Amino acid sequence: MSAGQRKINKWILHAILVLLAIVTLVPYVWLIIASLKGQDDFFSAIFLPPGDGAFGIGWDKLSLDNYRALFDLGFEVNLINSVFYSATTALFATLICAATGFVLAKHQFRGRNLITLVVLGALIVPPTLLLAPGYELLYDLNLLDTSWGLLLPLIAPAFGVFLFRQAVIQSVPDELLEAARIDGCSEWSVFFIVVLPLVRPMIGAFMLITFLGMWNNFISPQIVLQTADKQPLSVAIAQLRGVYKTDYGLLTAATVVSVLPVAALFLFLQKQFISGLTSGAVKG
Amino acid sequence: MHRITNTILALRGLSSGVWVIATLFVISLILVLVRQPEQEGDLQFWVFSPEHAEMYAPLIEEHDASHGVKLDMTVMSIAAIQSRMMSGFFGGLPTADLIEVEKAVAPQAFMGPVDAIGFHDLTDLLLEEGLLTQLNEPSLSPWSVDGRVFGLPHDVHPVMLAYRADITEAAGIDLTLAETWEEYFRMLRPLMEDKDNDARPDHTPLSFWYTNQDLIETLMLQGDGQLFTPSGQPVIANERNAFLLATIVSWCVGPDRVAIDINEWSASGHQEKVDGLAIGYIAPDWMCSIWKMHVPGLEGKLKLMPLPAFEPGGRRTSVRGGTMLGIPKTTQQFDRAWDYAKLLYTSPEVARQLYREVDIISPVRSLWDDPVYNEPDPYFMNQRKGRMYIELAPEIPLRPSSPYNKQAAIDVRDAALNLAEYANRNSVYNAEDLIPEAIRLLDRVQARVEQRMSRNAFAAEDLAAGDGEAQ
Repeated sequence: MSAGQRKINKWILHAILVLLAIVTLVPYVWLIIASLKGQDDFFSAIFLPPGDGAFGIGWDKLSLDNYRALFDLGFEVNLINSVFYSATTALFATLICAATGFVLAKHQFRGRNLITLVVLGALIVPPTLLLAPGYELLYDLNLLDTSWGLLLPLIAPAFGVFLFRQAVIQSVPDELLEAARIDGCSEWSVFFIVVLPLVRPMIGAFMLITFLGMWNNFISPQIVLQTADKQPLSVAIAQLRGVYKTDYGLLTAATVVSVLPVAALFLFLQKQFISGLTSGAVKG
Repeated sequence: MHRITNTILALRGLSSGVWVIATLFVISLILVLVRQPEQEGDLQFWVFSPEHAEMYAPLIEEHDASHGVKLDMTVMSIAAIQSRMMSGFFGGLPTADLIEVEKAVAPQAFMGPVDAIGFHDLTDLLLEEGLLTQLNEPSLSPWSVDGRVFGLPHDVHPVMLAYRADITEAAGIDLTLAETWEEYFRMLRPLMEDKDNDARPDHTPLSFWYTNQDLIETLMLQGDGQLFTPSGQPVIANERNAFLLATIVSWCVGPDRVAIDINEWSASGHQEKVDGLAIGYIAPDWMCSIWKMHVPGLEGKLKLMPLPAFEPGGRRTSVRGGTMLGIPKTTQQFDRAWDYAKLLYTSPEVARQLYREVDIISPVRSLWDDPVYNEPDPYFMNQRKGRMYIELAPEIPLRPSSPYNKQAAIDVRDAALNLAEYANRNSVYNAEDLIPEAIRLLDRVQARVEQRMSRNAFAAEDLAAGDGEAQ
């Protein structure tokens, strides 16, 4: 293939990618514009409202009123709750899953295979099936309408335990652990100083998955938390939808507020996310 | 100390993203800890509609202040209420002291023997306090089991036909003269021309489709169709149901079909309404406020009229949707909860606001004289629509409270879909010719529902008793 031909192919590829990027970004652009429009313009114009401004657009009809109204409703409380629940779940779930995965992968003890099987078995139980018994258990433990009631069932997911078990088997050589122990490391030090740095890509990926999972979690907070001040964004946004009428400007502004932090976080962690997902995909 | 330093040095290599999440954890933890927890009230009240909550709030505040009690009102989604309520009822856990439940959810609480229902039986109390006679009788049916009432009705939700009066009046058609669906479709036939040559009629008489389960149920109820007896026996496979199903499906099939599929909730559906693709829309009272909000462009172009009947002299209305207020048996403060229930569901202030805000009429008959219902509505060409809905309220059909009704209605919708396919495949477009196939399809629905009920020990007993009675 000549250099010219390669250049043309590259251009075509880029053109297709730009087109796909536009298709992907259109909903976000729509969302942001909709959050700036008033209720009257919401249904009358798909994107920007028509008017007398530049390019025939009513720029004066766009405002931050929906965002102001949103925070007048006390939405910042739900935003803080979402950050708290997501960050706590991401940190503790990663730590607990990594530790459990390490133990299941590298320690010989009685019942290890049985526990691994139980972890695998837990993966096939649909979460919906656990709603009613989970609710009863939380009631018995007096944890309903508490942050603990929401967080405790989510900080040791079977998926994470199994994921880290596989990551430790693949990335941590037994010789290294033996060497650390000979040098006088305790099991905690072995875990924190030797194992965790070696499964670093998986930590980034799993933390992001868990953070996003909790950020988008709707059903658990709905069931467990009753007080409005304890609810996360996902529940607060759903409650902006009326049964008879809905202020769509407010709803889209709330959606923007809920999308932005996770989008920013993804930009921060995307390298780890991708490397974590592909580690072990290629035989090295 | 040395170990901690080593650990920190080892973890230093973790990505910046991990540290961002750790920082977010610390900051949000501090913010959550410094927040003052709200003092919990004496009673709990779960509602699913923010609009209802907004209406109740001032009355509750006033009542709380004058009685020295505090009622906590929590707005949550219908799904959350359903999960919490059913978990509470099945597990014997406390729920709230008052729960507002939507029509699709309430019957689930009625599964099993009457004395095991999680809500308090309000019948005797309603009788003692003279409330039973004050309430619109048919509005009690979805919340009653074996003649016992387990919830106060929030609404009536009678149904009328909203039609594009601007189009019909310009064409010189007086639709109010149409007493039956047949007459209605015949009168609108002249408007079905295709003047713009887009291969479809410029106007179709009715917005309805055989895939819309809610509308199928609404129309079948209007025509006295019945899926369950008042005692909960399935009677789906009957001639009346087959006739109704065949009739409404025949509206949607063939070259002369008189119905069109217009989405009730989407922006494209709203645009089609503005464009006048359909003339008539089946409109319960609550739908009026939704139209005003989502299709403001139709202000002054619509009028309401009673639904045309299936036969001369037949019922001119139906019912769609509904809400009840129940008091769970687990409440420790029944008397206080009952006081709040009466305050919120029988107060003239809430009834007035309910109509002004969301066009819903109250089921309390003594409130029907309120002048608010006589106010002309500019959206509907200044018709006194409140009064029109009230006139139809006593006529709404009775609805079953069977927990199997929702799934049965879905199965009937599937039967309608199969019937339409059958009609199109065999070019059978006449309602009468579709009846045998409709009976066959409804037989299958009946068998499915009976099979489902037989898996429930209590429903199976009822089913067997029903069979015994039939023999």
